[in-house]
Amino acid sequence: MSAIIEMQNLTVRLGNRIILNQLNGALSGRCIGLLGPNGSGKSTLINTLLGFYEPISGAARILGKEVKSNLRELRAMIGYMPESDAFIADMTGVRFVRYMAELSGLPRGEAMERAHEAFFYVGLGEARYRKLGTYSLGMKQLAKLAQAIAHGPKLVLLDEPTNGLDPEARIRMLQLVREIRDTGEVSVLISSHLLRDIEECCDQVLILKEGRIAALCNLEEERKANLKFLELEVTQGNGFLESVRGLGCECASFGAGRVRIILPDNIDLRQIYRTASEHEVQIRRMNYRRDTLEDIFLKAMAGTSQAASAQQGSTNGSL
Amino acid sequence: MAVYKRTYKAYNGALTPAWSRFTVLTRYGLSTLFDSRPFTAYTVLCFLPFLGALAYIYVAHSAAAQALLRTGNAMAGTVNNDFFLGYLGFEAGMGFILAAWGGPGMITKDFANHSVQLYLSRPISRTEYLIGKVSVLAALLSCITWIPALILFLVKAGLQGHGWLWENLWMAGSIMLSCLIWIAMISLISMAVAVWVRWRIAATALMLGIFFLLPAVGQILNAILRTQWGNLINFTHMISLVWMRLFRESQAEFPPAFNGVPLWAAWASLLATCVACFWLLDRKLRAREVERS
Repeated sequence: MSAIIEMQNLTVRLGNRIILNQLNGALSGRCIGLLGPNGSGKSTLINTLLGFYEPISGAARILGKEVKSNLRELRAMIGYMPESDAFIADMTGVRFVRYMAELSGLPRGEAMERAHEAFFYVGLGEARYRKLGTYSLGMKQLAKLAQAIAHGPKLVLLDEPTNGLDPEARIRMLQLVREIRDTGEVSVLISSHLLRDIEECCDQVLILKEGRIAALCNLEEERKANLKFLELEVTQGNGFLESVRGLGCECASFGAGRVRIILPDNIDLRQIYRTASEHEVQIRRMNYRRDTLEDIFLKAMAGTSQAASAQQGSTNGSL
Repeated sequence: MAVYKRTYKAYNGALTPAWSRFTVLTRYGLSTLFDSRPFTAYTVLCFLPFLGALAYIYVAHSAAAQALLRTGNAMAGTVNNDFFLGYLGFEAGMGFILAAWGGPGMITKDFANHSVQLYLSRPISRTEYLIGKVSVLAALLSCITWIPALILFLVKAGLQGHGWLWENLWMAGSIMLSCLIWIAMISLISMAVAVWVRWRIAATALMLGIFFLLPAVGQILNAILRTQWGNLINFTHMISLVWMRLFRESQAEFPPAFNGVPLWAAWASLLATCVACFWLLDRKLRAREVERS
């Protein structure tokens, strides 16, 4: 898959501080997560991709076009949902979205039609004639999403889309993001400091720390790899572990019946069940490893050689 | 997307020309202003002087109307450069209230809830955003100043005969130029004040202060320093000085207060104000502000 966003030595300074420092990498997922603690440069990266900040060195490319020299063209292809409140309080929801769609270049009729569609799509159809100032926080977030997608962009930049949402609204927002992603017509970049949001939606993740790339990895591949990593809780059984090792698996026991097994490609899960049955061992619990992103994030935060690892590219090998 | 399908679909249809995007801002700006009934009523009120002036020109050229009104020949020859200068001065005053009322709100609303970043994330530049907003005021103020003034000029020429038109053609240029200078000044000050204070009421108050309090400060400076240079911060005074020159008013007809500041200084003052407004707009009209620490 060709890169959606490419960065080459991208460095941004605001005031006297370097906020983004020599970022290199190519992001090619359908849904890319931008993770990092507060102040790590996530929003600055998004703002730089939108052309709000000019890099002091290096360059960024979106959909193969350099940001600096193709700003107008790129902005027509991008939908942006900012982190903070962004609306015109005394405008009705549908008029606001129509206005934004017209500014993106849609003719009046099309803009009107798509504004209504976008409002129904995000689930605010009934509230579309209410003034935005009367919306709840969750509704404002959805209205921001509606204006970001109404003009049919090819890339949607979502800056902390679940900020301030209650659990139900958060689930709805993430579901919408997944639906948009799954259409295959648009790529999504989500900035968040919530690991679960990223894990639930994204297939690639870029982790920033102090303005540098701490990790850049493909979550899909991580997930596939985790399917080979089992955690079992079993009743004590003589020879079970030895037999499993005999199948070609790596395994380790942690006491109290807790066992971790790494399945090679040629070993099926059923063979583990069969072996347990042969040794009259009960498998009380079996899990695939699930804490992938948390592991990646913690490693990235602890690591110091982030820049070097990032330059390896968008593979798990870069971690 | 489709309402009944509730699925996302990319847009692949035709787009409007890039150059025309700023007109969307203008259209929505005008529409928002005229959502307010008092504003609409005041705008209509601004056209009354035009109707009055039209009637005056008619009466001045109609012996029957003069006889009916028993004005005699007193109105003959009064529709001249003084008449147009007076008309524009009155309309400029009404237009100032219109600009102070509607101008700052157009921008402060965008800043109040951080929507400027949404505008500027679209394919429009800061300049286009500004042109779009200024065009709202420019369109409104044009409709009550130079456009009706030119209509009056043509009516006068029609009633007077063709010779008058060619003899006084310079006046049409003066009408346009003087109004355009004034519209540019008012619009720029209105926008600059709005992006600076970002609160509609304060922006309107500041605009009124610039035009009504600064002259007082200028007078204080004049009194203390025993000079006339304090008039440089009196924009109404400076614009009036430029207008009087454009309408070929003779120096002898100038009020005494207008004799202390040379014309070049008036032009320089207006130019400096425009430059200051542009500087402020360039500094403050941004999608994101950078704290310089």
